[in-house]
Amino acid sequence: MTDATLAPPGETLRAGIGLRAIHHDEVIARSPAVGWLEAHSENYFGRGGAPRRVLATIRRSYPLSLHGVGLSMGSTDPLDATHLGEVVQLTRELEPMLVSEHLSWASVGGRFTNDLLPLPYTEEALQHMVSRVGQVQDALGRQMLIENVSSYLQFAHSQIDEWDFLAELARQSGCGLLLDVNNVYVSAMNHGFDALRFINGIPCGLVQEMHLAGHSIHTVGGREIRIDTHSAPVCDAVWSLYSAALERFGPVPTLIEWDSEIPALDVLAAEARKADCMLERHHARAA
Amino acid sequence: MPALRELQLAFVAAMFDESNAVRAHVREEGVSADARLGVYQNNLREGFIKALALGFPVIERLGGTDYFRQLALEFLAAHPSRSGNLHHIGEPFAPFLAQKFAGTQYAYFADVAALEWAHQEALLAPDAEGDALTSAAFASIAPEDYERLTLSLHPACRFVQSRYPIVKIWRVNQPETLSDEVIDLDSGGDNVLVLRTPECVEFHCLPAARFTLFEALGRGENLGAALERAQAVESDFNFGAALRHLLELRILTALRVPDLST
Repeated sequence: MTDATLAPPGETLRAGIGLRAIHHDEVIARSPAVGWLEAHSENYFGRGGAPRRVLATIRRSYPLSLHGVGLSMGSTDPLDATHLGEVVQLTRELEPMLVSEHLSWASVGGRFTNDLLPLPYTEEALQHMVSRVGQVQDALGRQMLIENVSSYLQFAHSQIDEWDFLAELARQSGCGLLLDVNNVYVSAMNHGFDALRFINGIPCGLVQEMHLAGHSIHTVGGREIRIDTHSAPVCDAVWSLYSAALERFGPVPTLIEWDSEIPALDVLAAEARKADCMLERHHARAA
Repeated sequence: MPALRELQLAFVAAMFDESNAVRAHVREEGVSADARLGVYQNNLREGFIKALALGFPVIERLGGTDYFRQLALEFLAAHPSRSGNLHHIGEPFAPFLAQKFAGTQYAYFADVAALEWAHQEALLAPDAEGDALTSAAFASIAPEDYERLTLSLHPACRFVQSRYPIVKIWRVNQPETLSDEVIDLDSGGDNVLVLRTPECVEFHCLPAARFTLFEALGRGENLGAALERAQAVESDFNFGAALRHLLELRILTALRVPDLST
């Protein structure tokens, strides 16, 4: 596959949607009017079978981003060479416009939680992440993006603000950032900081993609905790924060994510159109 | 200040209820450390149950949702995920069920789980290098080489053998099946070849000797040794019919005569 099969780069100024298995057939049959698609890399591991074939077919019609959820970037265990090898192979075959993972860890001592666990924001963790991002970028032969996660706790010995940690990680490793606006909001509400401080703490030019998603509110220990469930529409506060992020970072590829209680494709496309309207406004202003 | 590795080991120990030491490193701010850690423990458990249910919908249906959750949590404690890819968690599930239900009326759960795992593996197995071979491929093989010939089967092929009618159990417990058929567990077992066509995964129930032949070939045994096994199961084994079946199934992907000089 060559770059000639890519849709024009301008297309990505329309919002994309997360590609989920229940929509595979419909995406191929109907080619929904969305700018691009993002696939969870792990769902297409294994070199064969229908999922891989479907993704290759879809790739001929849409720009694609590969989003990893299982590399356990921040773990102090060695990087899983097999897992990384699968990501490298997928990246070679599909030539995605973006490849991303998370500022998180999932495993230690060989046991995996298969979750996005928060790191302590310390100099040690920063140097560890810089080294790990370096290893992945070397294997991929290209830049990767690192995404901020939602968190439900902070470590007492954290010494660096999360936004400064991300900015410094990008500066030292050369990675780009995937700003998940919903995650910024969820963490800000859970930890009591101003979400705009996060946005304004990230230097312009580092953010190459944004995520939008819905979350849910739970009562934990008598207090509200927001949990990043990707099971609902984007809430108004997150749309407002997205507007502020567009103001600061300009119109970057934006994705609607939905992972549980996944609605009809049309519902996702409608959410993407809402993001399109905001992207267009900011694009027109920037032009 | 704990080192990063020390913190991570303590965190995961808390996730598996082994130690609460990580509590000391969590900021409480209105919500206790235990409650905050509980959010992550809940994520781990619910994510694991959901992923296991996706891979083993028939076991979930047989056991019922509530019992399946309990089973999944027991399984999580015994076999935590060892991979960043959740698809892998199901591999030890059938052996776990076999041990748990040995000698009980639920002993058949293990074989049904083995069939569901084979189905998952077949879905995601690599594609074959080339097209399936036809009978023409045998034309170039000298008769004296037949004994030591090795046959490669499609990488998605899997073999599951059970003393229970597992294919019927699987079929009547599909979401689209509205059947209240009662299955007699002692109505005969199945020798199942699981294969993948371009469209879907299929189950083929084979006669015992034919299953034995295909399974041995799939493990890389040469034709002479595999045939001997089949004949031990059925003395007047019809090899010609078995070979025709293998070709019809379009799962034969390569023939190789080992080089005797090496």
